[in-house]
Formats: sequence, structure tokens, C-alpha cells
Amino acid sequence: MKKNLITTFIFAIIIKFTIVNSYSVEPEEILQNPQQEIRARNISKNIRCLVCQNQSIDDSSAPLAKDLRELIRIKVQKNDSDEEIYKFLTDRYGDFILLKPPLKISTFLLWCLPFVFFVIGITIIVQQNKKSKKYIS
Amino acid sequence: MKRKILILPIILFFTLLIVFFYLLVIDRNPSELPSVLINKEVPSFQAKSLMTKKTFISEKEFNGEIILVNFFATWCAPCLQEHQYLKKLSNQRGLKIIGINYKDDPTTALAWLKKLGNPYADVIADKKGHIGIDWGVYGLPETFIIDSKGVIKYRLIGPITKKTYKAFYSKVMEIENL
Amino acid sequence: MIANLGNFSLWLALFFAALQFGVSYRKNNKSTLYLNKISVYSLLLFTLLSFLSLMYCYIVSDFSVSNVYLNSHTTKPLVYKISAVWGNHEGSMLLWILVLSIFNYFIFKLYNKNNIILITKTLETQAFVTIGFLLFTVLTSNPFEKIIPTPTNGLGFNPVLQDPALAIHPPLLYIGYVGFSAAFSFSISAMSVGNIEKVPWYNYMKPFVLAAWTFLTIGIAFGSIWAYYELGWGGWWFWDPVENASFMPWLLGTALVHSLVTVEKKKVLQKWVLLLAILAFLLSVIGTFLVRSGILTSVHTFALDPTRGIYILIFIAILGGYSLLIFAKNSKKFFDKNYISFMSREGSILVNNILMIVVCASVFLGTIYPLIIEALSNNKISVGEPYYNSTVIPIIIPAILIMGIVPLISWQKTSLITILKKTFPSIMLTFAITVTILWIYRSQSVLGFIGIILSGWIISNIVFTLFEQSKIKYGKNKFIKNSVPKFTKSMILAHIGVALLILGITGSSVWQKEKITRMKINDETIIHNYKVIFKEIKEVVGKNYVAIQGNFWIYNEKNNIITKLKPENRFYPITNNSTSEASIHTNILRDLYIVLGNGNEQDGWIVRVYYNPLVVWIWIGAFVIFLGGIFSINSNLKIVKRLSL
Repeated sequence: MKKNLITTFIFAIIIKFTIVNSYSVEPEEILQNPQQEIRARNISKNIRCLVCQNQSIDDSSAPLAKDLRELIRIKVQKNDSDEEIYKFLTDRYGDFILLKPPLKISTFLLWCLPFVFFVIGITIIVQQNKKSKKYIS
Repeated sequence: MKRKILILPIILFFTLLIVFFYLLVIDRNPSELPSVLINKEVPSFQAKSLMTKKTFISEKEFNGEIILVNFFATWCAPCLQEHQYLKKLSNQRGLKIIGINYKDDPTTALAWLKKLGNPYADVIADKKGHIGIDWGVYGLPETFIIDSKGVIKYRLIGPITKKTYKAFYSKVMEIENL
Repeated sequence: MIANLGNFSLWLALFFAALQFGVSYRKNNKSTLYLNKISVYSLLLFTLLSFLSLMYCYIVSDFSVSNVYLNSHTTKPLVYKISAVWGNHEGSMLLWILVLSIFNYFIFKLYNKNNIILITKTLETQAFVTIGFLLFTVLTSNPFEKIIPTPTNGLGFNPVLQDPALAIHPPLLYIGYVGFSAAFSFSISAMSVGNIEKVPWYNYMKPFVLAAWTFLTIGIAFGSIWAYYELGWGGWWFWDPVENASFMPWLLGTALVHSLVTVEKKKVLQKWVLLLAILAFLLSVIGTFLVRSGILTSVHTFALDPTRGIYILIFIAILGGYSLLIFAKNSKKFFDKNYISFMSREGSILVNNILMIVVCASVFLGTIYPLIIEALSNNKISVGEPYYNSTVIPIIIPAILIMGIVPLISWQKTSLITILKKTFPSIMLTFAITVTILWIYRSQSVLGFIGIILSGWIISNIVFTLFEQSKIKYGKNKFIKNSVPKFTKSMILAHIGVALLILGITGSSVWQKEKITRMKINDETIIHNYKVIFKEIKEVVGKNYVAIQGNFWIYNEKNNIITKLKPENRFYPITNNSTSEASIHTNILRDLYIVLGNGNEQDGWIVRVYYNPLVVWIWIGAFVIFLGGIFSINSNLKIVKRLSL
């Protein structure tokens, strides 16, 4: 029951805004300065749309995504650094809003395990190669 | 040595299943996002009050008593469902609720409140949704419980309903008695 | 009435699956063979009957069935009524079971006088898997559940799913997932029977693995085509958990297909193949679990129901626990003393295999890591595209470089110098291709450069091996035939497919151009030498939607009209939501892609125009891989046939 209500509530938001069919960045949002615009786009590609879950705000049609895009552009125009902008957002929404998780103690394994897997793989190959040399001789 | 390596997949496999199992049985909504503002002071903001037409300064308002902050809008259907429970909280329980009218038209909002009754001690217009962003709001309605020192203690995502009313109220009491 | 028949058939199917499981304990027995025949055929018959019953309910819009009521509507076109059968959780489980029993039937068809024990044991495992899914469907997700009183019309259907590519996407994908169940059963069977019986289990396993992998490939491709034109911003892959759930078994399948070749040719890597077969199927089921249990959210999650989740979890625990235990216990029987040298074809296949596993493990890690964090702390994190790009791409690049050389290396050990000598011409050709393409697209992007090199590398190597082969075939020096490695047309096709795929991925992600603008009638805009004129906008009425449709005329540099594009914004009143239909003009060099946003007469409409170079090659590539797979299935079935003689 609780879950049902929450889903209806989420749907209420989604439906309200999908009827107005606008996809991602709108022409009025685009900054005059192309370099700033590129920076804003790159930042927003790394920011998760919170309502639609698995999209970046750059791809999303949700109104909150639009608000965040505009906010990022204002900050870019004020020459805030990328780190400042990311910090502004994570201070409010947590690390969840970043599509590229920051390197922390809790995400240490996430970032280092692929490398560990790679090393293990290479070790297996090298060992096989060594053994084969022995086997042949 | 060789045997241990063969057992390893089994151990990994079952650890993973236990994690999955745990996540299934706990009462959890995967699309619910925990607030990072818990145990932090209320974000400071200044905005126009819809009722007094004066400027609302957050630093002056949040101290001395427990306050609920409710983000709502007239276009949000669950907010309408929730409305009666907010009235119950303010009229019967005497709680102070500050409403933040999120991305809405002030006249519509005032008419809406006139029609349905006003549970809010003050209503603040957040036309562009910037206050919402400062509070980490991502869907409507959302209700925050702020303690007497002006610290955010709890956030409820989604409406207060018949089901959740009791639990929510006891949460308020719990925070008040701390 | 028909719904009752469907429900009853489902129970009968369960009975026959149980029978098949039960009779298989006595192996090498005439009556086992006979009873197995009955159960295999009946299982197929009744699952098919059940499936057709549900389809019938959808076609005649029988709203007394809750599933039809929830997912269909009388105004829906017939095709989408049919595809609605598997467009929801319950119905898709029924399709899953149907595919299972079809594979079951094909396994049964492999019986011959030599392999009775192996096949019987395989059928036993397969029956167990089928029982698990049948019970799951009957108990937690019965598609034939009734609703009283009968509603007058259905609730409709997610209009986003009303689409041809998405209609055939699930069946193809399920052939993939379920195909791995056959590989799983063969693996269990081979391990429990042991290597005593001198039957080449890998030869029997191979066509199933190929079928699974081939259909998974094309299934994923259809999913990405759909995402490309339906989700409206020209992307085609999003690293969504649902996509990852299909990509991970695909990676393992790729490894499995290649190591099976090694087992076949050199009898090495047997243990490895047995493990991979188990893991590929387990990952398919775990993927299904992740998507169906509601444990994580995704753009296309099916349903939120923890009891279902717990059921699948228990089932996975049994399957995984049993198979991994038997692997730990019995795999030493398949111990092979043949160690593999890096400088041989089997060596490079092993390297590629390991790299595929590393990629798969990283994707898996990224998919489940947020869940682990959430279980251990109260935090939530996101793992999105940037993470996958930075972990997957660096591992994929060496894998593809090695993949390029494989055709040139022979089985057994060769020296580095021979390899270098052999690859010298292809290095030159790759260089030439890269320079040409970069000159055409005038790009300085590093990723573009790498992508083109990789693609060119695969193609050049194949060109030169083909050249070598034809020299032998038509030349005089027939005696050196053995020194040039043999490879098949299916392998060539599949590898060329990958090269084209990389070309498409590179082009579309590196050189995409975008124009977002607001246009009034008769306005024009320019994108990459094309002139786009907004001619008119009008309302159109579809079967269950209304839409506004823009009409855009596209001119090229010489001011000749190329095409008229008509993107639509559809509104579906029944379900009260809307979709945006992109309009696309495709040729082999680029796509022109237009999406209509909202707007009005006075201010104009938001128009988004994309120039997507080479994007069509992604799907041509996938299709070529698919063709290669089909050829390979065919030739492997011939090998299997020969075994029965």
C-alpha cells in the first residue's frame, strides 16, 4: 500500500510534465559563450536526474532537471569552478546526484576492483605462459 | 590451495545473495533518496511570504519550537490528498507548519488554501524552485521536521496519508522530546 | 473459458516437467527414453497452448483476465495486442517458459545411441530449471488471474512500448537468456556424468551457446535501436541496469563461444568452459531478478513485488549452490595438462576470454555496488555512464587489438617475429584507413582516432588472411596449406560485424552534431551543410492517439531537396501520456534526426536536430554478427549430426 502511494505520487509528477513534451536542453537555456556552454553541458552530463533515476539532467525532460541545468549555467557564468558546482549539488542532494561516484572510502572498492580484476587476469595468463614453456621443454 | 580457489565462487555467490535478500526484506523504496541535510541547520533563505506580503527571513523564524516545513503546490495531486492531515496536525495538535509553495502561481495557491482551509502558519513563494533545490527537494510533497534549535531532523518523501499519519506524528513527538 | 484452458495447460506443463525430472534418474534405460519423449513433447505442447491462450485473450480483449485488463485496450492495433502478451511481467514469464521448453525439445532431439546418459542428465537439469520457472509463474505471477466484475475496457498500455522494435526485442532476448540454460544443463550433466563416457559434450553444448549468444546480440541491438529513435536524444546505450543485465551474459557468452572453439580443437580449457556456462546462465537469471524484483529502479523496471524477488532469490540460490558445488567437486576430472602459450591462437583466445570476464566483472560491480552501499550504510550513490566509460573502455581496447590478430596466428606456439611479420601489411592498411577516415571527418578526437584504428585493424587483418587463404586455394603451393590457419565464414562475418559496430559507435559518439533551436513556420536552420526548413505543422489522428506533426524539408549544399522529415508529438488519451516520435533520414554515412518539442504559433516550436555520423553501422554490424552466428549454428549442427553416425 505504501509503495503504491509512493508510485502514484511519482507518477503524478512524471505525468504532469511529460504532457509538456520537451526534451533536455531548451534553446533559451543555451549560453551565448560557446566555451561556457560546453562546460555546462559537460557538468550536466555527470549530474543525475533525480526524478527519472537513470538519466543525466542533460538528457532529461523533468522540470527539476531543467532547474538544475539553469542553475549550473548561472554558476558557470559566474566562473565557479567545476568542483564548486559539484560541491553545491552534493551538499543538497548527496553523492547520489553524481553519475560518476567520487573516490571515497566507501567507493574505494568500486574504483580499484576493476584494476584488481585486470591484474589477476594478467597474472593467470602469465602463469599459463610460464607453465607452457616448462611443459614444452 | 587449488581446492580453496574452487570454493571461492560459492562464497562470493552466497554473500551476494545475502545482500540481495537483506535488501528485499527491509522496508525500502528504491526510488527514495535519503536527505543529506539531516542534523544540519536549516538552509538560510529569504523570500516573499504569500500571506503577510513581507519578506520571510529564515534565520529569524526557525528557533524556539518544533516546526514542520512542507513543500507543496496546487498542481500536485498527492498534496491535495495530504492536505487534510496537515490541517489535523496544525489544528488538533497545534504544530507550526510553514508551507513552501513550490513553482506555483501565488493567486491560485491562495485561492486553493481559501477553499480547502489553511494549515500553514506562513506560506512562502518559491516561484523558481530555488528554495526547493537548497533543501534537496526532488518531488512533491516533501515534509521536513525541524527541531527547536533550527536543525533538520527528518524528511518525509511523499504525502502524509491515513497510513503514515500516526508514524509521522510520533516521529514529531520523538524529536520534540529529545 | 480460453483463459481457464491456458491456466490448466500451465499446470499440465508443470506436471510433465516434473515427470521429465522424475524419470531421468534411471539412465540408460528404454523406458526412460520413452517417458522422456512423452514429457518433452507434452511440455512443449502445453506451454505452447497456454501461451496461445493468453495471446487469444489479448486478441479478443478478454478483460475478465486481470493481465489483459491491466495491459491492453480495445483501441490498440492488433500487432501491439499480440506483443502486449510479453510486454508485462506475467506474460513475459510465460514466453520465457515457452522458450525453455523449445530448447528442451532441441536437447531431446540430440539423443543417439552413444550419448544417452549425457542427454538424459541434461534433460533432468533442464526439467529442474523449467519446474522452477513454472512454479514461479503459477504461484507468484499467474497471467490468467481473473478479475471480477469484468471491466468494460482495459487500462491501456504504456504507449512508449507501442513500437515494432520493442515488440520483438523481448522474444529475441529470451532466446538468449534461456539458451544459456541449455549450456548450464550440459555443463552440470557433463560434470556429474564425468568425462568417463567418451562423448564430446562440448560439441553438443556449442550450438546452444551459439544460438543464445547470437540472439542475445540481435536482441540487444533491437533494444538499442528502440532507445535511439524513441527516447529522443539520439543516444542508444545508457548503461542502465536493465541493459547491463543483458550485456553481462552477452560478454560471458562471447567468452564461452570462443573458448568452446579451443576445447573443440585442442581439448584445453574444458574446466573453464564448464564454469563459464554455469556463470552465463546464473547471470541471466540474476539479471532477471534485479529487473523484476524491484530491488533497483530503472527506466524500464517491470514490477515492485518482494515476494517474487524472494522466490527467484531462493531459486537462484539452489541453482547456483548446486552447480558451483558440483563444479568444485567434479571439475578436476576435466583437468588438462596442456598449458597454453600466449603466442598461439588458443593463447590469444584465453587472453580475450579473461579480458571479457574482467569487463563483465566491472560492469557487474558497477551495477550492484550502489545496492551494497545501501545495504551497509544509509547512503546512496549512483554509478552511471562516466564510470562505465572509464573502466570498460581501457580493457576493451587491448581485447580488440588481440581480437584483430587472432585470425593470423595458428594453433600451437608461434614466435613473436612471425606474428609481427604476418601483421605488417595489416598495420600499414590500418594506418591508411585511419588517415582516410580522419581526413573525411576532420577530427582531432583521441577516442575517434582509437575507434577507427581498432575497426580498421580488425578489417585489415581479415582482408589479409582472406588473401592468404585464396592464394593457397587457387595457387600451386598446396602443400603449405596447413601452415595457414583455417577459419570459417561465420567467424569472418562476426569479426567484420564487430569492426562495423566499433565504427558506428565511434562515429556516432565522437562526431555527433546537435542543433537546438526554436523555429517558426518557414524558418530555417543549418546543421553540418544541411539546410532544414520548417514547412508546416498539423494535427494527425492515429488509432489510439492524437499528434501534432511537423514537416521539415532538408536541403543539401547544392540546394537540392533530400528528404522531408515529419517528427510527431503523440498524446495517448487512454493512458494520459505522450511520446515523441523522432523522424530520421538514414544513409550509410550519417543520420539526420529531428525531434519536435513543444511550442506554439507565436513563439515557434523547439526543434532539435542531430547529425549522427555512421550510426547505422552499429546495427548493420550487429546484424552481420547475427548472420555470422546463424552460419556458425548451422555448421555446428552438422558436426553434431555427424556425431550420431
